Amino acid sequence: MESPPDPRQREVDDLRRQLRSLGYLDAGVDRFVLAPAEGTRRPIGIAWLASVRIGMLAALLLGPAAAIGVAARVPGLITGARDGFVVAAYLGLLFGAGSAAAAFAMCMGASMVVRKPAIHDRRRGLALAAGIAFTLACLGYLTLWWDASTFGERSAMLRSAWTIVPLGFAAAVSVLLGHLVTVTALAVVVAQRSGAVPERGIPGSSRPVVALASVLTFCGALLLFSLTAKSAPSGPEAPPLTVVSSGARVRLIAIDGFDPRIARRLADAGRVPALASMLDSASAGIDVVDTQDPARAWTTIATGQPPEVHAVHGLETRRVAGVQGAFAAGERTGLLRAIAAATDLLRLTTPAVVSGNERRVKTLWEVATTAGLRTVVVNWWATWPAAPNAGVIVSDRATLRLERGGTLDAEIAPADVYETLRARWPALRSEAGAHAAHLPAGVEMEGLLRRSAELDALQAAIARAVTPANADLVCTYLPGLDLVQYGLFHAAEAAAASPSSVARRLAALDEYYVLVDALLAPALDAASSDVLIVVTSPGRITEPAPGMLLIKGDVANPRLRDGHARPTDIMPTVLQALGVPLSQELAGRALVEMFSADFGRRYPVRMVSTYGPPAADRAERRGQPLDQEMIDRLRSLGYVR
Amino acid sequence: MTPVPRFFADYQDRIDGELRRVVPDTGDRVHEAMAYTLHAASKRIRPVLTLLAAEVCGGATPAALPAACAMEMVHASSLILDDLPSMDDAAIRRGKAANHVVFGEAIAILAAFGLLGAAFGTIARSYEPPLASRMTALLSDAVGAEGLIGGQAADLLATDRQITFEMLERIHRGKTGALFSAAASSGALTAGAPGGSVAALQAFAKNLGLAFQIIDDLLDVEGDPAITGKAIREDAKKTTFVSFSGPAGARQLAGELCQTADRALLPFGRRAERLRELSAFVAARMS
Repeated sequence: MESPPDPRQREVDDLRRQLRSLGYLDAGVDRFVLAPAEGTRRPIGIAWLASVRIGMLAALLLGPAAAIGVAARVPGLITGARDGFVVAAYLGLLFGAGSAAAAFAMCMGASMVVRKPAIHDRRRGLALAAGIAFTLACLGYLTLWWDASTFGERSAMLRSAWTIVPLGFAAAVSVLLGHLVTVTALAVVVAQRSGAVPERGIPGSSRPVVALASVLTFCGALLLFSLTAKSAPSGPEAPPLTVVSSGARVRLIAIDGFDPRIARRLADAGRVPALASMLDSASAGIDVVDTQDPARAWTTIATGQPPEVHAVHGLETRRVAGVQGAFAAGERTGLLRAIAAATDLLRLTTPAVVSGNERRVKTLWEVATTAGLRTVVVNWWATWPAAPNAGVIVSDRATLRLERGGTLDAEIAPADVYETLRARWPALRSEAGAHAAHLPAGVEMEGLLRRSAELDALQAAIARAVTPANADLVCTYLPGLDLVQYGLFHAAEAAAASPSSVARRLAALDEYYVLVDALLAPALDAASSDVLIVVTSPGRITEPAPGMLLIKGDVANPRLRDGHARPTDIMPTVLQALGVPLSQELAGRALVEMFSADFGRRYPVRMVSTYGPPAADRAERRGQPLDQEMIDRLRSLGYVR
Repeated sequence: MTPVPRFFADYQDRIDGELRRVVPDTGDRVHEAMAYTLHAASKRIRPVLTLLAAEVCGGATPAALPAACAMEMVHASSLILDDLPSMDDAAIRRGKAANHVVFGEAIAILAAFGLLGAAFGTIARSYEPPLASRMTALLSDAVGAEGLIGGQAADLLATDRQITFEMLERIHRGKTGALFSAAASSGALTAGAPGGSVAALQAFAKNLGLAFQIIDDLLDVEGDPAITGKAIREDAKKTTFVSFSGPAGARQLAGELCQTADRALLPFGRRAERLRELSAFVAARMS
């Protein structure tokens, strides 16, 4: 049987609580905050010194926590423990400075308010109010920060467990920092009136009050989180992908800077027979959306998702000093450009080129590899670093590595492909040179055209060299036409070109289409069971023509002309041709009307809930990075200013 | 009677020697009255606390000795004033007749002010201006309306009245805690200690000071005047910690305060062993 509580003991408990509220029975944190203010009499001095300590504590607590959030929100920024440490240090500085500034502002605000006669005797209440205000602000910010950071979590279970811990942490940190602001504000308002740091206890610091405040704060964080939580897709783990193949192998050729009107004119003139053949097959115009940045545009095509989902926002990214990873700057407004320029000037950031680390979703070749197909991708944007176990990847930095030699820095995967290409490099160069030699002598801007032609021919030759006979999917990106078009009509000297010069440039462009046609021809000659898909984009011109999706092969529907496609439809259409199920998460749809009725009947679209996130396998990097060389190359080609 | 820690003897000797040097008994009436209370047998807890605080912060004892003496002089001054008929009207202090009983009220008041002035003078003469300035401010706060004077005033107003626990704490904070805190802080300052160390020692002194006062209240109820050196039941008219919690509760809270004081010493590690002995001594007074 339980004995009734001893009334004397209750009195002792009550006294103990009162003693705590008066600052006794506490050997703790208050002195950490007020210690630097020892001997300081001026309120501003106390507020400043104590706020610096609050900022230090906030930096220590919030830096690592925020780094975890940033790692989730900015893929590619943190590539290892060292990056994590550096980012935590930066964010610690940021949060520390912010917390110190906020604490200072609140304390000084309290010291100004206490001057009013009506508030004189409410110093403790005023300090408590400052602390509560800081707690609420801190809690709100931390909760919203976490909410934003975790957007995109796939698993509801994981999301719940992943949410409770940081929210509890946010609540604890908020209560602690709020308490410290109360301590400081009380010291400041007392100094404002009597010139002495108070020895009286701190309001709201007894254990029951702290416990209650912690529970309320946590509930507040949960409520705020649930009210603001984004409707992130949540579904089951990625199911296995079962391929129902028609046996067709897909060759996807991406041509940047392509104008179908020019191609049609040249086709009618009989100068580009391969292109003419393609134009007479199943075709659809692609909405012209945002093709100015090739990395963004071609990642959209490769992933079937818009930039806000795939997270490759631009060719140019920024690398934070001391961090191996990079982050995209998003839409480059004038203000952002100015900030980037300023941080570059201060050496806090350096320009970098976007990589596959920043991408949040799988590309079509990664999905195909996951489904067990054999894939090859050559020179596609944002494919460096080449992931292991994702088929043959000759990344957008591979040509540079092959030119420079040396140890691989994840430019090509698997590594033995690099050895193969190195051995054949002179022959490949020679083959590309022979292709460029078909350019008529004396053509306008011959140097530009020749270099571009060699580059295109090199990609085509590399693709042929690395593609095994049984490859199911080969994706090749040809940049030459975009380079030529941009060089002829958008370079500085082009603006001042005379009418006759413009005419010569148009003629030179026509010649380049003929060279592209020659590169396309071997693919057309392949077995009819193959599917040749050509996807084009208008590139970096300011008044773009529409893009094109052209499909040729037994499975194509040659009667479909002038169909309609979005950039996000390309990936599902290619995967449908391969017999891979489509994810419900994809933004686009498979353009089944571009396939024959028989194909559509025998191979209906099958869906899966998700493809899951990109593989976490890190590319093996050993060689000297070609970061600066890549920037220089892209600058020389006009991609980077 | 609970013996003081063994290491006390050495500190007490040094403090007594310095006090005799600073306030000699020259034979004139006021000096005699000042020396009567100042040199009376005492545990010298406050000046020892100053020396220990200096040591724990890496300072030298000789450098802290003037500050330690100043603390004892202020304390002796406050005892003389407290015992006056217009205040607590106590006849016994430090096992002897109170100062005003021997020298008369007027001389006792002058002796008290003489000791107070000597305390500030000792600080001013012994330290470089910046440190002297900080310590003077510290001592001034400990003596002033937020310290000893404020505590004594609140105590007088509380006599024969029911007071709140907060009021009681206010009295003890002023009468005991302020000087304990100043003693610890001044020792740390003479050693050039950083703010964090000073604050840790203040937390130690604050908790220890209140524990000391609670135990004093307990001894007033339960102690032996032959051992405590002052009459018991003197505080019968007053509200004390024992009034709020009973003797057992007061003992329990005093113990917890001593434990908290010990925890505040954690940053100093083994260097603070003597301060822990001091805390144990305070706790042992009630056993």
